[in-house]
Amino acid sequence: MRFLALALALSVSASAVSAAPAAYPTPLPEEPIPTVKALPKAWPKSWVVIHDFYFASILDGRLAVVDTTSANQPLKGLVRAAQFANSLVSRQRGEIYTAETFFSRLTRGERTDAITIWDMETLQPKGEIVLPGGKRQQSVTYPHLFQFTNGEHWALVANFTPAQSVTVVDLDARKILSEIDLPGCAQIYPTGERGFSSFCADGSMFSVTLDDKGQVASSKTIAKVQDIDKQPLFSTPAMMGKTGWFVSYYGQVQGFDFSGPVPRPLPGAFNVGTAEGGAPEWRPGGWQVIAADAKGLLYVLMSPNGREGSHKDGGTEVWVIDPAKKARVARFPLRSVGVAVGVTPEDTPHLIVARADGVIDVHDAATGAFVRSLGATVAANPILITPVP
Amino acid sequence: MAGFDKLTEKFARRIARGTSRRSMLAWLGAGMTGAATFPVLPVARAATHGGGPTHSPVTAGIDQDPGDRTSCDYWRYCAIDGFLCTCCGGSVSSCPPGTEMSPITWIGTCTNPADNRAYIISYNDCCGTSSCGQCLCNRNEGDRPQVRPQSNNDYNWCLGSQSSVYNCSTAVIVGVALDQPK
Repeated sequence: MRFLALALALSVSASAVSAAPAAYPTPLPEEPIPTVKALPKAWPKSWVVIHDFYFASILDGRLAVVDTTSANQPLKGLVRAAQFANSLVSRQRGEIYTAETFFSRLTRGERTDAITIWDMETLQPKGEIVLPGGKRQQSVTYPHLFQFTNGEHWALVANFTPAQSVTVVDLDARKILSEIDLPGCAQIYPTGERGFSSFCADGSMFSVTLDDKGQVASSKTIAKVQDIDKQPLFSTPAMMGKTGWFVSYYGQVQGFDFSGPVPRPLPGAFNVGTAEGGAPEWRPGGWQVIAADAKGLLYVLMSPNGREGSHKDGGTEVWVIDPAKKARVARFPLRSVGVAVGVTPEDTPHLIVARADGVIDVHDAATGAFVRSLGATVAANPILITPVP
Repeated sequence: MAGFDKLTEKFARRIARGTSRRSMLAWLGAGMTGAATFPVLPVARAATHGGGPTHSPVTAGIDQDPGDRTSCDYWRYCAIDGFLCTCCGGSVSSCPPGTEMSPITWIGTCTNPADNRAYIISYNDCCGTSSCGQCLCNRNEGDRPQVRPQSNNDYNWCLGSQSSVYNCSTAVIVGVALDQPK
């Protein structure tokens, strides 16, 4: 191989010498090999992580690290996110975590579920924590299947066999602490200092506090927090500190305070409102349909073709909602159908829209004005946008 | 395993027949949207090739089961999410060679426009070969959040199979809904 390279180099240089133009007496400098780029230790606040579900080969999913200020080189690097993976990013730990599933012969063989720990500067793997039982929940990526608790020292992983449970993982010690049964309940919303809550099939919320060994210290059921028949809530909320804002398939907004050991549904659910032009009506639609900014506003992706079954179809506008006033404060038209929205924590925040055609658009979050497009250059199927606060 | 599969299947069929409100809702949804072209999930649209249809129609050949089985608007696909097995070497009711059919699945209730019956459709996934990549289709009539697993199509239902790697989805008739829409 090396001999071949040398031979090729000689033949190329021979022809190059004969053609050397007088206008360029000095050749371009030699470049060192190998060279691998690194990322800044502190990522700029304009950077986001975009989950590429990669439908064409789901077992080869990936995360794209994206500079939303760069129109020509927005893709800064990729992190593997295999087979219906979930991910977490921790600026304080300088690490990205992917919860993944592998088979020893790619599509067949022995199954291994593991959390891989990636360095945010090099995007190289630093280690892994094997998850026991081959039961990690695999589904189109919901962020709340893999969450931090205990000040980002621990992680919680959803399992589905279809029996439901949560595995508690110590990220510092890189070991499994416990598994908590969660019959009839789904999704993980970190609650209090050490614990989580989940929605349950009867419309209740089940809440668990954990002791310092990761075992259940206490649990509580809060009845009737959701009417799944009449106002089913999208499972992915917009987080504003420790308050989660959920929106229903029909536009009802419901907040939950997750700061204490037991979640508290905020009184006074309200609707995002209506508008002309609906056929038959405006409803939230997409995969990640709600986002929050640091000022306390919500951004909801809205479809004018709202009807039964439209909730994943994507939206053509973003409606800005002030939950304190329970009122819509703006409507932002998008350039094309969006499927996911996120807001950067920049000093001048930007609304990032992942479009159905794979294009990523950047808007001014205050005015909705289009700022730049990154093109369809970072992901085949961008379905989640994770700002890095 | 075979006994478990049988039990699961029986259970699924029983649940399916009993879900009256949802089947009604699904029917209403189908009724409302029946005239329009069914949209596929934009995410799905982005993953497929643009520039018009890429498959010639595949039909049952009988009037009572109308429609193109390579098309997302075929009546049985009212709550499907994935690659259509008809385009992947399988059929609407069988998996492609080399794959394994998942014994556990989610269900939908879809109205057959020919006989106006509401059928329980079982969307068994085919597993063990990587994503088919053809005819991606996502429709969500009656789809509910993951807290109701049996009516959520976001789960990878390659469960109880040797491999959880997803290839494509079938749409198998497992019965007629008890309450017929009027």
